[in-house]
Amino acid sequence: MSGKSVLKRVDWLSVLFYLLLIGIGWLNIYSSTFSESDSSIFDFGTLHGKQLFFIGASFASIVILLALEANFYERFSSLLYIISMVLLLGLFVFGKTIAGATSWYDLGFFNLQPSELAKVATALALAKYLSDIQTDIKRRKDQLYAFSIILIPALLIIPQPDPGSALVFFSLAFVIFREGLPLYYLGIALLAIVVFITTLMFGTIWVIIFIALLLILFFLLKKKKFKVPMLPLTAAIILTILFSLSVDFVFNNVFEQRHRDRFSLWLRLEKDPKKLDQIRKTIGYNTYQSEKAIESGGLFGKGFLEGTRTKGDFVPEQHTDYIFTTVGEEWGFLGTSTVVILFTLLLLRLVYLAERQKTDFSRMYGYGVVSILLIHYFINIGMVIGVLPTIGIPLPFFSYGGSGLMFFTALLFIFLKLDANRLKEGI
Amino acid sequence: MAVTEKNILTRLYFVVACLFLFAGAILFKLLNIQLVQGDKYQELAMKRTEKMFTIAPNRGNLYSDDGSLLATSVSRYTIRFDAVTVKDSDFKENIVPLSNALSRMLGKSSSHYQQLLRKARVNKNRYALIARNLDYSEYMAVKDFPLFNKGPYKGGLIIEQKTVREHPLGKIAERSVGYERVDENGYYTRVGLEGAFGEYLRGVEGKRLKQKIAKGQWKPIGWDNIVEPKDGYDVISTIDINIQDIAHHALLGQLEKYKADHGCVIVMETKTGEVKAISNLGRTEAGKYYERLNYAIGESHEPGSTFKLMTLVAALEDGIKDTSDIIDTKKGVWKIYNHRVRDSKYGGYGKISFGKAFEVSSNTAFAQVIHEGYKSNPDKFVNRLMAMNVHRKLDLPIKGEGEPVLRSPGDKGWSGLSLAQMAYGYEVSMTPLQTLTFYNAIANDGEMVKPRLIKEVKEWNHTIQKFDKEVIDRAICSKETAAKAKALMKNVVENPHGTGHGLYSPNFSMAGKTGTAQKDYVSKDPDKLKYISTFAGYFPAEDPKYSCIVVIHEPDKSVGYYGADVSGPVFKSIAQKVYATSPLIDEVDMNAVEDEDLEKNYQRYYAISQKKYNKVPNVKGMSGMDAISILENLGIEVEVKGNGKVKRQSVAHGTDIKKAKKITLELS
Repeated sequence: MSGKSVLKRVDWLSVLFYLLLIGIGWLNIYSSTFSESDSSIFDFGTLHGKQLFFIGASFASIVILLALEANFYERFSSLLYIISMVLLLGLFVFGKTIAGATSWYDLGFFNLQPSELAKVATALALAKYLSDIQTDIKRRKDQLYAFSIILIPALLIIPQPDPGSALVFFSLAFVIFREGLPLYYLGIALLAIVVFITTLMFGTIWVIIFIALLLILFFLLKKKKFKVPMLPLTAAIILTILFSLSVDFVFNNVFEQRHRDRFSLWLRLEKDPKKLDQIRKTIGYNTYQSEKAIESGGLFGKGFLEGTRTKGDFVPEQHTDYIFTTVGEEWGFLGTSTVVILFTLLLLRLVYLAERQKTDFSRMYGYGVVSILLIHYFINIGMVIGVLPTIGIPLPFFSYGGSGLMFFTALLFIFLKLDANRLKEGI
Repeated sequence: MAVTEKNILTRLYFVVACLFLFAGAILFKLLNIQLVQGDKYQELAMKRTEKMFTIAPNRGNLYSDDGSLLATSVSRYTIRFDAVTVKDSDFKENIVPLSNALSRMLGKSSSHYQQLLRKARVNKNRYALIARNLDYSEYMAVKDFPLFNKGPYKGGLIIEQKTVREHPLGKIAERSVGYERVDENGYYTRVGLEGAFGEYLRGVEGKRLKQKIAKGQWKPIGWDNIVEPKDGYDVISTIDINIQDIAHHALLGQLEKYKADHGCVIVMETKTGEVKAISNLGRTEAGKYYERLNYAIGESHEPGSTFKLMTLVAALEDGIKDTSDIIDTKKGVWKIYNHRVRDSKYGGYGKISFGKAFEVSSNTAFAQVIHEGYKSNPDKFVNRLMAMNVHRKLDLPIKGEGEPVLRSPGDKGWSGLSLAQMAYGYEVSMTPLQTLTFYNAIANDGEMVKPRLIKEVKEWNHTIQKFDKEVIDRAICSKETAAKAKALMKNVVENPHGTGHGLYSPNFSMAGKTGTAQKDYVSKDPDKLKYISTFAGYFPAEDPKYSCIVVIHEPDKSVGYYGADVSGPVFKSIAQKVYATSPLIDEVDMNAVEDEDLEKNYQRYYAISQKKYNKVPNVKGMSGMDAISILENLGIEVEVKGNGKVKRQSVAHGTDIKKAKKITLELS
């Protein structure tokens, strides 16, 4: 296949969103790492200079990614998955510790984060497994296999510790769901989340009261003919209450104080305003500062390079996980909404692209890409604006980080290559 | 796949709906944060990132009347050492030379500093004290010391600057110069001249808005200060440092001699009321004397016999008695009710004139005159004293003026004895400065002027405000009365029977009145009896220039306690020295050294040296030194033979400089 035809077929709208996000992202990294003494934007000693280098490297890798045979990805997905799992295992021996997490290989010029590679590999591997003609997702055994593909990297990443990255893999459950996982799995997951939060906020007693109220409502409103499956219902209620009790136990006995504090802060569990303020300024310092920075931006922001909180380094880790605060402070609501809309448009476009795929593999991989990007984008921005607890996870295409940018680019462009190829190849 | 198309479509919609929901939720939250709460938080953010800084103005200088500095603000520097930031190689290389340099400047041994620096290094001390209170030149030198010349980061040098108030005169007039302090609550403690003229000296604080740009770093916002700081004005006081110096030392000497508790001296210019010297010394437990409290202004006490002047003037004005009227001193004891008024001379003075009674300071005579003269109408006496402003505070800018006491009939404490007691200075109370003001009024022929400590307020050379003499009362008494009183005060010193005759000197004249007041006389125990010795008066007697009061409290009785003995000599030595030394002006007459020849030579040298030469100049006739300097400045090597002026130059004038590399001068 000639390069020209790839360029013709590639989805330029997605590429445009990608370029816009990368561009805006770099400007914000520049702003948050800029200092008066910096001589040139191409100075690779500076963080924004390094990032610029990686943007260039990403562009170069795009050429390679698009030039490779489309079925290469499907064929080698298992191998890639195994390699990345080996790399994750290798971290326990050769890993380099940065900020308390042993998540990197030191490659001299830059640090490779294998969990980033694992995201791509797992998305490919999952797509491959689900698209296999032998696989039927209605079967328990196949469900178990599918979930294992997701869980293995997650379990390898949790002890680094990097719960944020581990969480990303669970988002791939979305792909399984899309491909026909029974709805009640989703129901159970949602119920678990609701019970978890309710227990923390109101206690087990209230969970029971809520269930009782729901039951009364259910029996009042149900059609007379409807036959209630009493056994499963009772089992579900008992399990829910047990879960609620276990949440209480886990929260108070298994969680460490810092985790408890994060939840205290998120759900405003601490009622004493003085103590809450104390937590806000210590445990919640990052969120506190990032909220303040975004708030200070107002409608139009303070202008590029004019963010006083950005320049004053008020927000820790601003160029990585908290890059969105720079957008908020310097570009205001106009900036933040633009970024949110760009991300949403990109994701919608990818959903659209995924749906038009001819092969199951391409479609499933497409959904994998969407899930991974979505969870990053949702959790990161949610954390920065304080609606979610602090979970360290980068904002795709935005946050500073070489391997992150490279692999997000790879993640996206492998899919764009598959998409470009969709008319050429059948099953 | 086993999934139906319809099912897939629903799931797709679900996915898309979720996406919109996420995006919507995020946008809603952002909207809420950035626009709804925005203003509130923006303000909060401003508060945390912007701060008003005050810029301290420079406090004005306080000068004496001739422009000598009494108080000024100077910078003092504290040097500390950050032993951690310095590189090992730098530290090793420089520790010995640095210690040597410190040792040379600060006096302690080099090994002392080596040890100090090494210890700081070992203990990772980032704030080791090297020296305190260095002045500017020392600070400049320290900055160039080895290691320290590498600056704060590589050299570990930490400089802290503070502004302190320096008194170039030292302990002299320390209390009168005073200070002004402000505590963290903004409450001022004002003492002495500094306190009194604080509003001029202080200046106005500037304000500057700054923005936080990083931890501990603040950047000024905008071009200008919100409020420009305005430096304090200079205040020129009336204090004459020469007189102050004399007063201080004379008082100190006498206090030490009599082991007195405390004392004060005030010297005032008669015509203008300018206070030329004010000295207050009190004894510490160790027996040393320091300027402790402002007794001269703050301490109101029973004046004793110096009050006889007020009594005398009142009696004369009211026509109760004239100076020539004869009074019987009743053998030194006059009984009134159950009280005995005694003269200090046992057996009294016999029958003497009212004038002589003043000169010998007869208590019996004064008590009788006032008691008899006013007993039918005691108000008249009190009113007369009030008419002479004896009861009035002087309303000085210095805080803490003592309250004068003058009772009226019917007041609490007034009795049948009061008139007699007041006649010789009891049951009344005045501060030394208030007493002096009265004496000064008499010296000034009845015109009472307000004592003044400030002459002028200046901003650089520009006068902001000038203070002229303030008259309290044009005439507190008639000229005749004043003349009579002055004659008597002169006699106190000049007449052989006067109480102050021991102070007489044929070389200069002075007039005054002694006073020896008993303190704590309520106690019957004679051992506990304490005295206040006073001498108040003016000099020269004929044409009063200065009035002066000396008050010494609680002299050692075994050494002496009479006003004439204790305070009189202080007065005398001030009068004598001021008289003798006031024409002395420390000025060097520059014209005296002018020498026409020298001047001419210099002009010639100057003219030649200022020109630019391409050719060798004519230096014949010039002094050797001048010739050498001119030629060498042109880059010519000079060789000199002999001494004196240039007789001959080896290269003729007019030769191109480039050709003349070396020139030999013959001097004679």
